[in-house]
Amino acid sequence: MSNFGQFYAEEEIIHVEKPEKREPLGILFWVCVGWIGLNIIGAIFANVLPLINPLTQNYNALNAGPSLHHLFGTDDLGRDIFSRVVYGSRISLSVGAGAMLIGFGVGAPLGMLAAYRRGRFDSILTNVMYVLLAFPAIIATIAILSFWTPRSLLKIIVVIGVASIPLVYRVIRTATLSVATKDYVIAAKVQGATDRRILFRELMPNVAPIAISFLLIGVATVIALEGALAFLGLSVLPPTPSWGNMINESRTILQQNPWLAVFPSLAMILFLLSLNFIGDRLRHHFDVTEVKL
Amino acid sequence: MSDEKSALLVVNELATTFATAGGPLPAVGGVSFELGYNETIGVVGESGSGKTVLARTIMGLQPRTNVTVTGSVLLEGHEMVGVSEEEKRALWGTEVAMIFQDPMTSLNPVQRVGKQIDELLRVRLHMPKAAAKARAIELLEMVGIPSPAERYHAYPGQLSGGMRQRVVIAIALAGSPKLLLADEPTTGLDVTIQAQILNLLDRLKEELAMSVVLITHDLGVVATRTSRIIVMYAGRVVEIGSTREVFGAHRMPYTRALLESSPKVTNDPHTRLVTIPGRPPNLLKLSEGCSFAPRCSYATDQCHKERPTLQPADEPGHAFACWHPLPKTRKRTVTT
Repeated sequence: MSNFGQFYAEEEIIHVEKPEKREPLGILFWVCVGWIGLNIIGAIFANVLPLINPLTQNYNALNAGPSLHHLFGTDDLGRDIFSRVVYGSRISLSVGAGAMLIGFGVGAPLGMLAAYRRGRFDSILTNVMYVLLAFPAIIATIAILSFWTPRSLLKIIVVIGVASIPLVYRVIRTATLSVATKDYVIAAKVQGATDRRILFRELMPNVAPIAISFLLIGVATVIALEGALAFLGLSVLPPTPSWGNMINESRTILQQNPWLAVFPSLAMILFLLSLNFIGDRLRHHFDVTEVKL
Repeated sequence: MSDEKSALLVVNELATTFATAGGPLPAVGGVSFELGYNETIGVVGESGSGKTVLARTIMGLQPRTNVTVTGSVLLEGHEMVGVSEEEKRALWGTEVAMIFQDPMTSLNPVQRVGKQIDELLRVRLHMPKAAAKARAIELLEMVGIPSPAERYHAYPGQLSGGMRQRVVIAIALAGSPKLLLADEPTTGLDVTIQAQILNLLDRLKEELAMSVVLITHDLGVVATRTSRIIVMYAGRVVEIGSTREVFGAHRMPYTRALLESSPKVTNDPHTRLVTIPGRPPNLLKLSEGCSFAPRCSYATDQCHKERPTLQPADEPGHAFACWHPLPKTRKRTVTT
């Protein structure tokens, strides 16, 4: 095909740039990732780690301050706060992961489908979701969990997960909508691509960055929601520790033993901060400017 | 007009009407034309004259709701109007392909360009992976992309606008379509790149024996590259004929106004550009008469009351819709 030579692009400077050097994610990003990783490892391996049993009550050390033996001190029943914080992360993390699994599992496919199909399917579904959104999630979850007894972790995950579906739906639908009207989607269509192919090959990869950063922020929101429920005594039943119910328990003995409030709060704050920070950095990194969350 | 056999595309009384809050909007109002094999036809008109809607309607691309299409589009005998998505999908890519205005948005930013080309080859033509890749690289070379084997792995963001439009063309040609609809393929590009892309399209059309519908608002683009021209105004054809006739012996005052409003090299420096007074009509409030009448210096009462239909001019195939056509002349020179 050498005779095509003369038709080669005459643009002498062919802009095949090296992939743009993006702004580096920064050390703080990796610190946050490390912290999340540490939390996850701690939650998974809590019972193999050399931790004091979180339910063992040591009456010789009630409301003890931090020491070498009890790193974070003990609570009013002499239970080790450090090990309770580590075990408590299991609840927060399962709620975060489980609820988002439900929220994204249902909300994301529906949102993408609605934005791609449009028409009546979209308008009915979107209006239903908006009605659900109008109802404050925290009130709804409190109401349901108050009556759905006995409480269990699974029920909490299901209730919070279902409550997050409309939020996920709205974000994914909006993101897909902005992609679905792009010329390259129409171009794929007139190449004879099937709807399934367009959804998976054209839409999904372009929606993914937004979905990922929203997922991280969603996990953080859901963990905070579980904390709020636990503080109201609507999460897992004592004596199982969770960050929320530990803070709740500390309420009555705040003056004798502030450590009981400090450490679980710190654990939660640092965890949520890290998640939000990672989500935010990733959004910048993927340069998601077209769709506002 | 040519007989059915020799026509690749037969468009008959095609009308596209959008249902809007303000009432029905006839974006395309009864367009008929034929396109033979290996022919390039130009569609020109101002912005909003229905060129893009016409192209999309021919393609069978409409929003799922709020649109009514009547008339017929026969592509090698296959009806494109009122058929299911599946039937159209069988023709898309392999019979008819389309390239879009803006190469910046017509490539998927997160997929390597090679993958976007061999998608059709693998899925529609069931080529094995290696053969599809080889063919994709061949296509990249055909559209004049240097070191195509490397560019196969590039992302669209790594290519310039001209390069991207070449890739878009390569994608459109992957299924060896008989008809290519080019909707203002060069508007998003620099002037120098525009010429390259148009020459490329010209060359590919010859090599692959395609027919091309070239939609543009730039008369300079269609002047040398088309055999016939359709002039559209307010969704209707106001003049159709061979390129030579339309440029040299046009009868419709609108065509003349369009031609006069393009700048010429022979003009004295600082000559004011001629403009068409007024603006294109609101399609929601079209009058009974000629849509161009309000802007036309020849308009009479008849023009405002009755819509002219296309009537044949002297040369076969040349027709115009005007009550007061410009006098017949050969070699009409357009003066400013």
